[in-house]
Amino acid sequence: MSVLPAIEAPAGARLARLMRGRQTLRGPFETTWRRLEGRFGAGAMEAWAEGALALVEANAGAGCLLAFWQASTGLCGRLDVESLAEAGRQAAAICREAGAKPAAAALDAFARIDTRLADAGERAVWWRSLVKLAMAAPEGVEPLALRATDVLVAGHVAAFEAFVDAGLKAAGRDRARRLAFFALDDALARAMLERIGAGPGFDALEGELKMVLAALWGAAPPFQPPLLQPLPPGARDAPRRVNIAGPVIRMPAVFPGVDEAGARRLYLAAAIHAGAHLAFGNPRFPIARFKPVQMALATLVEDARIEYLAMGRYPGLRRLWAPYHVATPEDGPTTAALLARVARGLFDPSYRDPDELVGKAQRLFREAQERIGDPAISLDIGTRLANDVGQRRLRFDARGHVVEPAYRDDGLGLWDFSDIDPEMTDEVELAVDAARIERREAEDGKADEPPASEPTRRARPSPPASEGRVIATYPEWDAAAGIERADWTSVRAIVPVWGDPRALQRALDRAAPLRARIARLVRAAKVGRALRLKRQAEGHDLDLDAAIETAIARKAGEVTDMRVFRSTVLNQRDLAVLVLVDVSQSTRERLADGATVLDIEKLAVAMLAGKLDQLGDDFALLAFASAGRGDVRVTTVKDFAEPYGGEALSRLAGLESGLSTRLGAALRHAGAAIARVRSFRKLVLVLSDGEPSDIDVASGDLVVDARRAVMALRAAGIDTFGVMLDPAGVGSGARIFGKANAMPVRRAEDLPMRLSELYFRLARR
Amino acid sequence: MLVDTDLSAYRIAAEPYYRPVGDEVAVFEAAWLHRLPVMLKGPTGCGKTRFVEYMAWRLHQPLITVAAHEDMTAADLAGRFLLTPEGTVWHDGPLTQAVRHGGICYLDEIVEARQDTTVVIHPLTDARRILPLEKRGELVSAHPDFQLVISYNPGYQSAVKDLKESTKQRFVAIDFDYPVPELEAEIVMREACVGPDLARTLVSIAACSRNLRGQGLDEGASTRMLIHAGRLAAGGVSLEAAVHAGIVLPITDDAEVREALGAAIAACLA
Repeated sequence: MSVLPAIEAPAGARLARLMRGRQTLRGPFETTWRRLEGRFGAGAMEAWAEGALALVEANAGAGCLLAFWQASTGLCGRLDVESLAEAGRQAAAICREAGAKPAAAALDAFARIDTRLADAGERAVWWRSLVKLAMAAPEGVEPLALRATDVLVAGHVAAFEAFVDAGLKAAGRDRARRLAFFALDDALARAMLERIGAGPGFDALEGELKMVLAALWGAAPPFQPPLLQPLPPGARDAPRRVNIAGPVIRMPAVFPGVDEAGARRLYLAAAIHAGAHLAFGNPRFPIARFKPVQMALATLVEDARIEYLAMGRYPGLRRLWAPYHVATPEDGPTTAALLARVARGLFDPSYRDPDELVGKAQRLFREAQERIGDPAISLDIGTRLANDVGQRRLRFDARGHVVEPAYRDDGLGLWDFSDIDPEMTDEVELAVDAARIERREAEDGKADEPPASEPTRRARPSPPASEGRVIATYPEWDAAAGIERADWTSVRAIVPVWGDPRALQRALDRAAPLRARIARLVRAAKVGRALRLKRQAEGHDLDLDAAIETAIARKAGEVTDMRVFRSTVLNQRDLAVLVLVDVSQSTRERLADGATVLDIEKLAVAMLAGKLDQLGDDFALLAFASAGRGDVRVTTVKDFAEPYGGEALSRLAGLESGLSTRLGAALRHAGAAIARVRSFRKLVLVLSDGEPSDIDVASGDLVVDARRAVMALRAAGIDTFGVMLDPAGVGSGARIFGKANAMPVRRAEDLPMRLSELYFRLARR
Repeated sequence: MLVDTDLSAYRIAAEPYYRPVGDEVAVFEAAWLHRLPVMLKGPTGCGKTRFVEYMAWRLHQPLITVAAHEDMTAADLAGRFLLTPEGTVWHDGPLTQAVRHGGICYLDEIVEARQDTTVVIHPLTDARRILPLEKRGELVSAHPDFQLVISYNPGYQSAVKDLKESTKQRFVAIDFDYPVPELEAEIVMREACVGPDLARTLVSIAACSRNLRGQGLDEGASTRMLIHAGRLAAGGVSLEAAVHAGIVLPITDDAEVREALGAAIAACLA
């Protein structure tokens, strides 16, 4: 006897009819129907049937339908019927874009991760993300669904959507890369994965950690302020440890699985430990003679030694580190667990352990107390303990060895790998490899590359250096994802080209009438003139008129006004201005008189600079162009510190058009440059010929990013103004700088006058 | 005249506590012998003002202190006419009082004043030792016991706020800095009435904050701040709260710097 004829409602009846003819589906369908009907009641089944029909209509096939039956029975205890129907409809949408198999995988994944989705809103985010992925990168759905439990963390559903968006954005049209990303085989994917659900990462804490290190260890004489860098993302699931390479402390971008408060504490503990290494000697023991187990134990004793010294100076550090020393004999019989207990025993002299190795380590360490300042004791004690480990035939897993507790560094920075015994063991080679990787990456980072030397001066422009030194990285706003990507853009300093200033000088001479008008503006700015204030309550001198009136009033018995003094105030200017000139490809365009837009820009800047120099205002001139986020090129025409003269004019004349306009990054760089100047008012004037644009991102996104950069500068007390060449009057200047702070210029020829006008209008305010 | 001629109100009755850290007392006394003008340089709160008080007491001289500010004019130093029912009357400024009646005139944070104001002291600080009051048409010769002392902090002001070369070169300079840790602990103990351990902890906290000078902080915690924090702690406030209220909160408004300083302080507290 079948239940099917009992179904009256249209969708349910239709579904039942369809299933009747499908041998493989009929049995499971009937079971599912009965189960759901028992749970929700017959009246609610119509909604579910509609969801199932959506799948059938999308030609989902038996596998997908079975997955839906299964998910429905599995989840019917937790979810209402509408949520199940919605799952069917969304799976149908995925099926239409990506095919039946990914849709089935998505349904299976949904059944697995549903407990992590708190409500209908979060379920909607999950489905929305998958449908979006199916539309943009259908091949990514199945791999991601299979790994959904890794990516979707309870309470961090938004991070799942952000992960999908980031994958689509990062891989672009590269199908193989997209596949790798969503199968979590991609470095960026792993880096993002680490962050989901974790506490604040290195980039959020870097500034604070730097200051803590400077505060605690800044005074020790051999100690340079340490450089902090993030470690590149490594293998999955391997615990990350801090690495010390010379003066550089490299910290994991994130400590996975550590919550908000724990992450800050762990970063602090790790940074201060690494700082103590640098402060109390980082000996670089020669590796040649040592076995991995000896290295591990010597590293462990050295860690204890520098912590002992550090706690002598800063007793509060014991409170910071102690919570991480929790190893007990119950942790298991492995050598790694024993080493963790030795670490605990050395850290905490009151700790008692049944294993005699711990007691011996504590005794040796105590006996060496008089020579605690000498790193050699670490090597000595370490090798003696290692002999014991060897004699007891304890197995030491060099390949899988991870320093414990988590805040300690990996210890590789203690060893000098340059002098290696040719008969070294495999394990040592492993350690050597690890160190070698660090070194190679350091070379790639170009951190130590000396600045390119100045070219000799010549009148003819020479080709610009193909690639400048990276001097700074800045975040960028990802409008699509709604997050700020840290260190997304790199700014390179381009060595300026010396041009022939004579042409520029001639153009300046030709523009004499204009300069006369600007000179009037200068006079109107009333620079540095003293103002005389009369009838003041205080002042250096009597205001005779007021004094006489008051004396008369007093004699006449009237109420007297005692404001009888005169004073002066100096109308002082305390102003710094940075002019940011766009030299992108579009400035190559020629105007009616044969001059290029860039020529006009140069003239405008030269005119303004001449006046600024006369006024004595602090100013700098920067030019920028870009070729992708890794290559934002900034040319310093004139720095704040140098005087304005022939050299600056020559560099200005040497500017050439080319590449794109990544305005946001340039603005952030300008902001950083002017922030260093001490001045009451700070202005950044942007001279550009059009929209922000670049080769690797949509123009609209860069407008939003530039807007954010402007807001950030304003928050830092820096006013930003845009003079935008905008013949049609449709540019985004107002959107970036705000209506009051943008000055669209219709005719390029007006640019010099407008720029100077703007400046003096601003300077008067 | 509104002021008594022996400036007794400006005399220092009891010996102020001052712990010499170098030869500054000897240098000052030698300068006093020849009435040479003295410049005290050093960061804020390291004891410059206390030193002048101490020397004034030691030399039995009245001490007239003027805190310079950027609206200060020459009249604020030299004096001005005031209006009375009978007409105008001249009122000596603090500098003129010291010049007339003898004593140490101490211009605190002199660079805060505008440069054109400070030139008024030029004729006083060379062999002439005179103060022209052009508004009164008077030339005041300095009293034999008149000495000029100025202080300034070369650290935090910008290059804009510096003394004129012609002003600088008139002075004998004594350089002050925070005392070495043992001495500073002794001073904190004495001034804040705290135990040696607490004083040493406070001094190590100050060392941390001074390491941050130029890296988030304009100035590290001064000895004066340590004394304030010590007094709070001696008054029953917990040490953490005392350090927070006495050092961390006043010194910076930046949340990140506060966090970092908080972590460093936690490391210092036993």
